[in-house]
Amino acid sequence: MTTSTQDKTSYRPDAIIVGAGIAGMQSALDLADQGLQVLLVERQSSIGGHMIALAKVFPTLDCASCITAPKMSASAHHENIRIMVNTEVRGIRTVRGTHFVKLFKKATYVNFDKCIGCRLCEYACDSEYPDPFEEGLGAKRAIAVPFTNAIPQKAVLDPELCTTCGSCARVCPTDAIEFDQQSEEVEMETDAVIVASGYALNSLSVKPQYHALQSKNIISALTMERLLAPHGPYGRVLRPSDGKVPSSVAFVLCAGSRDASIGVPYCSRVCCMYSIKMAMLLSGALPIADITIYYMDIRAFGKGYEQFYQNAKAMGINFVRGKVARIDPIEDGDLSLHVETTEDAENILQERRHDLVVLAQGMVPEWNPSIGTPVAVASDGFVATPMLTAPTSTTANGIFVAGVAAGPKDIVDTIAEAGAAAMQVSQYLHQKRGAAAVEYAQDPVLVG
Amino acid sequence: MAKKTLTPEEKQALMTMRERMGGISDAKKEHQRQLVAARKGIRKLLAEKPATVPQIAAALQLPTDQTLWHLTGMRKYGFVTEAGEDGDYLLYALVQSEEATAAGH
Repeated sequence: MTTSTQDKTSYRPDAIIVGAGIAGMQSALDLADQGLQVLLVERQSSIGGHMIALAKVFPTLDCASCITAPKMSASAHHENIRIMVNTEVRGIRTVRGTHFVKLFKKATYVNFDKCIGCRLCEYACDSEYPDPFEEGLGAKRAIAVPFTNAIPQKAVLDPELCTTCGSCARVCPTDAIEFDQQSEEVEMETDAVIVASGYALNSLSVKPQYHALQSKNIISALTMERLLAPHGPYGRVLRPSDGKVPSSVAFVLCAGSRDASIGVPYCSRVCCMYSIKMAMLLSGALPIADITIYYMDIRAFGKGYEQFYQNAKAMGINFVRGKVARIDPIEDGDLSLHVETTEDAENILQERRHDLVVLAQGMVPEWNPSIGTPVAVASDGFVATPMLTAPTSTTANGIFVAGVAAGPKDIVDTIAEAGAAAMQVSQYLHQKRGAAAVEYAQDPVLVG
Repeated sequence: MAKKTLTPEEKQALMTMRERMGGISDAKKEHQRQLVAARKGIRKLLAEKPATVPQIAAALQLPTDQTLWHLTGMRKYGFVTEAGEDGDYLLYALVQSEEATAAGH
């Protein structure tokens, strides 16, 4: 792996992959194993994407980081893969089949070639803020290694949080801190691109009737993932409002999707299953807690998923079919849910109380490539894939898509699609270069 | 940990960075002031005996969510540890060690 910008002028990767989550890493590894040079571009300070922050995966309940970390490590140590973190793709222009990818490399104020990841700078820093990796629940210092198993294990200074006290530079044993480092824009040439830019969750406040901004105890699914993760912010499941061990937890499905009124009419596909997974993990972490899932219909679409759902019911998790109309914060940080159920004809409208509520928000695209690149997006905002027989092809020749960037899907499908995108790139390069070689051989001027 | 003195070049680079940031904002100064005051208060309180989030919040007149956030940060960097339970809440205790001192402020 290299994260430096050295010899960038002579370096010409066969493919550039936008996003180093599980899709981007899988595509990179598949291409690199075929001997192709790959540049993996990641906007965050570490590769790994959302998956490295998850607790476990469904339906096997395997540890998520035990699957992701080896892929991160393999990507980082592969001789055919280069990684650029803290780097955004600002545009792609295509000239006669060659893609020129404009990259914006944000200043990290740390020389990655010198940094040894000792974290002495982090320990010396006296400025702490909510940690975005922990969904704001944990604390992060202004200069820090992004998280425990981040790759690269390099400190990054956030100028928005830094008080410029200079403590970090005073303790750095390798003089790696560079306060005068500047962000830079570089253009990289390549023959193929894979867009693997992933997803974001829509805002907790997208449904104002849930009053999520008025209570710390209405949390996102990713926040619950961090609470359940072995290295999560609290080391156990606690209520963010006051540290109480919750005794009654509710999951509200379709809380940000399947709703045309908020602009997300589609199903986010994975919310049913990850909510069931988290409910099962919670029942292990909090054995005496009541756990309820409010759902419209359970979409257990994959292999073993229906059995997983049945197992959850057998474990005592309550499934209530209906729609949560409103959530009101009440005394002591508890929450009152106004539910319309379909299960009790004589008691359709119910009020139920919980002390922690998880909203299964909708998945929306993380990046809009239609701005500044030749890649078109569909009406839902995800990358358009016009060819039914080639689901990783986009509207731009030589640019492919993998994972949730093309639409909501689970990790299994994401990895399969990432492999397919890599094979399409491989095939595309073979055809392109074969054609170029034929052109060269037949060119009377060149052949003489 | 041994602390070095910044070279004139490093000092100049630091000044340049501060200028590029437009100085230290009032909001950042206020955040830092509140952070230092809260952490000092929590350490003083926990030096006497372990306490829960609501107990610490009530004693220091801090919101409970912010108290939990401070404790989470202090736990991450080795200043506090869990010390049992009191009803539905965890008890937090102060850590007195060289590591915690080295990692903290």
